[in-house]
Amino acid sequence: MYQYDAIDQQLVEERVAQFRDQTRRYLAKELSEEAFLPLRLQNGLYVQRYAPMLRIAIPYGMLSSTQLRKLADISCRYDKSYGHFSTRQNLQLNWPKLEDVPDILAELAEVQMHAVQTSGNCIRNTTTDQYAGVIADEIVDPRPYCELIRQWSTFHPEFAFLPRKFKIAVNATESADRAATQVHDIGLHIKKNGAGEIGFKVIVGGGLGRTPMVGVTICEFIPRQDLLTYLDAILRVYNQTGNRQNKYKARIKILVKALGIDEFRKRVDAEWAHLKGTESTVPMAEFDRLASFFSEPAYETLENNPASLTSKLSNSAGFARWYERNTFAHKKAGYRIVTLTLKKAGQAPGDATADQMQKAADLADKFSFGELRVSHEQNLVLSDVRQDQLAELWDAAKEAGFATPTLGLLTDMICCPGGDFCALANAKSIPIAAQIQDTFNDLDYLYDLGEIDLNISGCMNACGHHHVGNLGILGVDKKGEEFYQVSIGGASGHDASIGKILGPSFAQEEVSGVIQKLMDVYVSNRSEDERFIDTYRRIGITPFKEAAYAKAN
Amino acid sequence: MPKLIKNGEIIDNAYVWLDSNEQEVVPNGIVSVQKWLAKKDTIGSVAGIWLDAGDGVECLSDINLDQFEVIGINFPAFADGRGFSYARLLKERLNYQGEIRALGNFIPDQLGYLLRVGFNSFQFNEDVDLEKALDLHRPFSVAYQGDVADPRPIFLRR
Repeated sequence: MYQYDAIDQQLVEERVAQFRDQTRRYLAKELSEEAFLPLRLQNGLYVQRYAPMLRIAIPYGMLSSTQLRKLADISCRYDKSYGHFSTRQNLQLNWPKLEDVPDILAELAEVQMHAVQTSGNCIRNTTTDQYAGVIADEIVDPRPYCELIRQWSTFHPEFAFLPRKFKIAVNATESADRAATQVHDIGLHIKKNGAGEIGFKVIVGGGLGRTPMVGVTICEFIPRQDLLTYLDAILRVYNQTGNRQNKYKARIKILVKALGIDEFRKRVDAEWAHLKGTESTVPMAEFDRLASFFSEPAYETLENNPASLTSKLSNSAGFARWYERNTFAHKKAGYRIVTLTLKKAGQAPGDATADQMQKAADLADKFSFGELRVSHEQNLVLSDVRQDQLAELWDAAKEAGFATPTLGLLTDMICCPGGDFCALANAKSIPIAAQIQDTFNDLDYLYDLGEIDLNISGCMNACGHHHVGNLGILGVDKKGEEFYQVSIGGASGHDASIGKILGPSFAQEEVSGVIQKLMDVYVSNRSEDERFIDTYRRIGITPFKEAAYAKAN
Repeated sequence: MPKLIKNGEIIDNAYVWLDSNEQEVVPNGIVSVQKWLAKKDTIGSVAGIWLDAGDGVECLSDINLDQFEVIGINFPAFADGRGFSYARLLKERLNYQGEIRALGNFIPDQLGYLLRVGFNSFQFNEDVDLEKALDLHRPFSVAYQGDVADPRPIFLRR
């Protein structure tokens, strides 16, 4: 993974010093609440319902075991010994003290980590596929490009005070989009053109929140050397013309929609005409330098499906189930990608205790070259596990609560912290996740239902991505009471779509019963091997709606 | 005389920001670009013009900017970052060489970014301790991106 040199290190250390001084001035009342707000947000510090929340960046999801141990250690000494992995490859601490944050940042800087631009109206942490670099059908490894974007966006002097937050995600494979790129402000799809040159299809104006939209293509192919000048052009048009009156209309998606993609593209191209070819054009040597950090680890020459694996698969149904669900094909023979799920019943989705973080770091050291990934679905990934060590890893993962074999199934939910923590939330989301986990606890039934994305957000801001869940649950406030609106038919992959609202919202205790009714409709209508989303697309919303609102008689 | 920060020093403010179009035009005044464009044939000599957020710089593309000692850019709120792009465009696109002055509600903690996009003078609205503000002048000694001082991104300087 990327290693800081003296320049990168100096920058994060100077950032710590800057934030230490800002915090000191705020506590000394030299800096007003209003002025401190965007300054702390640009360093990932929110003031939440009960305590501040610090969002630490995990750039494009890459984490070393040393870094994860540091996060565990920080969570013990400055927080309540756990953290929450978010959908955008960040780690959130829910209980730090404001006055401790400069010290936390200083400790993070020791392991080349930071909280730069994890919040605020600026360019946020760039995200990508958690399987980057280890899957066979990737066009090229997206991580060097993510690092290029990370550096370009870090303390960009022109774009620190945008109309609204700005999120970029990168995908590098045709077979899947695991980074939900089409619902980002900019989605980048790595492509090769006819001449074999690497570039990007650029999608703009996607986003969730109050007005969810799937992005539209602004350019089919931008050569990679022109990426930064092209991004500058998009951001410059947005910075000058995005809506600044109304925060709910301030995302770039609203501008793109208002102007129409053709007019927006015209403006970007006009700006880019001035920027293309200038110093920000990336030289080949820089691509080579960045790629050198992501070279392959020392893989052994191995065969696929060693005897130790195949015999375990036939002897242990539990192992076979875990293997089928929670592991994924690796580009190298004899290796497998393993997801350590953070979806154990009784634990909030995406939460990991300090002990679990330590254990995951140990597993990474023992089984996967000391590296981990954080996924959009709020799980951890060991990307390079030998197939002949899977059985041993499975035992250890079970013990640590990482082996719930439900990856991609109904109970592998995405869920925001909700009203238990977040000051913005209208309703709690974690109890809904717990209720669904309790109701759908039969593994055979979950397997029979197959792949279903269920996403839960506690409010319109949609941190739990409810719009793009096959099933989405949104917490709403109805005269001071918490209700839940259910939507159906969303998707976040290459076939991205925004779900449709089923109808009036439900009381908290009704939610899992409603999900059950929707599952019944699916099961009785599906054709063989048809996924939930495909059945929905074929039969439409009506049968689901009728079942959900049928009067009991 | 009121003070401001210019080129890293605290100096007397030699110009008058005419922030209302009702104010009488004076030779050391900084006039709104809208008023100046509307009356440019009769307005006479002024120290400079100022842009409000929303004005953009396109309206200046046919104007000889060398006639202005100063171009001001107003920040109606410090979170309104349009002025960052305006300054950069004045400098890099329109090749304006004179003073670019930040006006309005920007805050001292923004100085680092403001300098990098081309501002070289800072006239604070609020009562700001200029000595303390000067300390915040350069929060970082390195930068990843090119800027008006050095257009080379880090990959050309590593």
